[in-house]
Amino acid sequence: MQNVIRMEDLSSGYEKNTIFENLNTSIQAGKITTIIGPNGCGKSTLLKTIGRILQQKSGKVYLQEQDMQLLSTKEIAKKIAILSQNPIAPSGLKVEELISYGRYPHRKNVGRLAAKDQEVIQWAMDITHTTAFRARDIEQLSGGQRQKVWLAMALAQETSILLLDEPTTYLDMAHQLEVLQIVQALNEEHQCTIVMVLHDINHAARFSHELIAMKDGTIVNQGSPSSILTNEVMRAVFQIDAKIMQDPETGTPICYSYDVIAERKEESNGSNKTRALAL
Amino acid sequence: MLRTNRFLLTLFVIFLLTFGAFYLHITNGSFDMSIWDVIKTLLRIDPNPKHDLVIFEFRLPRIVIAMLVGIGLGIAGTVMQGVTRNGLADPGILGINAGAGASIVLFLLLFQMKAKHITDGSWTSTMMMPLFGFVGGALAAALILIFSRKNGRMDMQRLILTGISINSGFGALSMYISLKMNPQDFEMAAVWMVGSIYNANWIFVLSMLPWIVILSVIIYRKSHLLDYFQLEEGTVTSLGISVEKEKIILILCSVGLISACVSVSGSIGFIGLMAPHIARSLVGLRHRLIMPVSAGVGMFLLIISDYISKTVFEPSELPVGIVVSIIGIPYFLYLLVKSKA
Repeated sequence: MQNVIRMEDLSSGYEKNTIFENLNTSIQAGKITTIIGPNGCGKSTLLKTIGRILQQKSGKVYLQEQDMQLLSTKEIAKKIAILSQNPIAPSGLKVEELISYGRYPHRKNVGRLAAKDQEVIQWAMDITHTTAFRARDIEQLSGGQRQKVWLAMALAQETSILLLDEPTTYLDMAHQLEVLQIVQALNEEHQCTIVMVLHDINHAARFSHELIAMKDGTIVNQGSPSSILTNEVMRAVFQIDAKIMQDPETGTPICYSYDVIAERKEESNGSNKTRALAL
Repeated sequence: MLRTNRFLLTLFVIFLLTFGAFYLHITNGSFDMSIWDVIKTLLRIDPNPKHDLVIFEFRLPRIVIAMLVGIGLGIAGTVMQGVTRNGLADPGILGINAGAGASIVLFLLLFQMKAKHITDGSWTSTMMMPLFGFVGGALAAALILIFSRKNGRMDMQRLILTGISINSGFGALSMYISLKMNPQDFEMAAVWMVGSIYNANWIFVLSMLPWIVILSVIIYRKSHLLDYFQLEEGTVTSLGISVEKEKIILILCSVGLISACVSVSGSIGFIGLMAPHIARSLVGLRHRLIMPVSAGVGMFLLIISDYISKTVFEPSELPVGIVVSIIGIPYFLYLLVKSKA
């Protein structure tokens, strides 16, 4: 299997805080890889570092076996697009205009959009079902519509790799599914390599080929959903006692119920007590 | 299409307004002239030495300086607001004016230049002043950028707060330095620090013209980047823009513009705040369109303010910086209230 992104002894973090150290792993071409793990485990930091939004402290990221630090940021933008968490747009900006920003790395002149640009923008709107509100202000859209517009902007970059940082957070169930189905279609129909961070492990298992389970800045486990969504791994990563079965329709594992493991319960009781005392 | 038409119409209206202000400014003053006299003087039809003196030595250089300073401040303000993503950013409020001003005052003191030279316009020193101002302006900008960073990104609240303290810090420094001057020079320096262009001359025009022309062109060519900078930094990076590098280039260019303006006119605030807002409300979000309109609005505002400053208390003059502040402070408060709502 071909690796499209490879990390070598990668360390990253914010200012003096190191979030993870000496990570070694790789992302397979043409697959959907999802990073899961508890809050603060470093999954978003890893995604940002791969996407060079965050400068690594040491180590290397190879994009198609080229050291990313030696590539110009514009060159990278033709290969990797990133959808950040909670992106913001200036008030009054129109949907289509925002999506056209995605054409930046491909544009030669700053004036008019070329026919090719228009075509790609239209394609991005079609695939994300956003054509209907192309002329609206982004501010007027619902959270779900807005997320699809941001996704369309990333798609307008025409990259073979897409990094998505919690693309479903704050969306209702129907919109969560819609966004993930768009992602899946991109992967199946356009051979896009997808790396994303998700909180919902059932969505992760259902839509991914590969899962990376992180905890405290280390990769605990990496592999197919059926090898990751197991009681042992969930216990190690989230400290939960997960009850898992196979989805009779798709054959993927699903966690239908879970309990927080006893030690952690006590721990949280303890902190509740201290909080009560503090109050 | 609609947008382009609107843009051209806006520019045309600004041109008309500026022309009107120009007309008022050149015909009125302690010595009123008819427009016919002005035209005859400009076209050299039976020249009259008295008219020549008023037009060429006093009014015309003053109007030209007002135009250039207005353009410079309008553009610099647009860049500052665009780069910081903050509508209340203004070179004056952020202390860049004050930084440039302090280093020019220092220059005057160190090189034992009598402030009188500002009026006489000794050649080399006048040409050197924008350069010297640039050092102080860039220092102020660097301090603001360093202190307003938090967790690797620009924090907007810190930006304004840092700016205010930098502003008063450099203001105090200028005051301290100018107190070391002899009383006559001090008075000149004090008036100059408030922002005034009544002692304009052609050497001033020459000293700032290259800065305004070159830097405006560079900024205009990069102005489309300001559209992208309205998104948050991560997204801009992922689009393939070297955010830090481009922002620093844009900031340095506008510091250069401000320094050229300050070296000639002293610290005139609020134009850089008002012009971009007015421009945005006229032509929308695209900085390629905002930039020229903001330059035009700045130009108009400064000519008309200077006209007011020279006529309202005739025969004595108010520094134009004060007139601009009188208009600008209510506008600033209005923006504050509006941004809260």
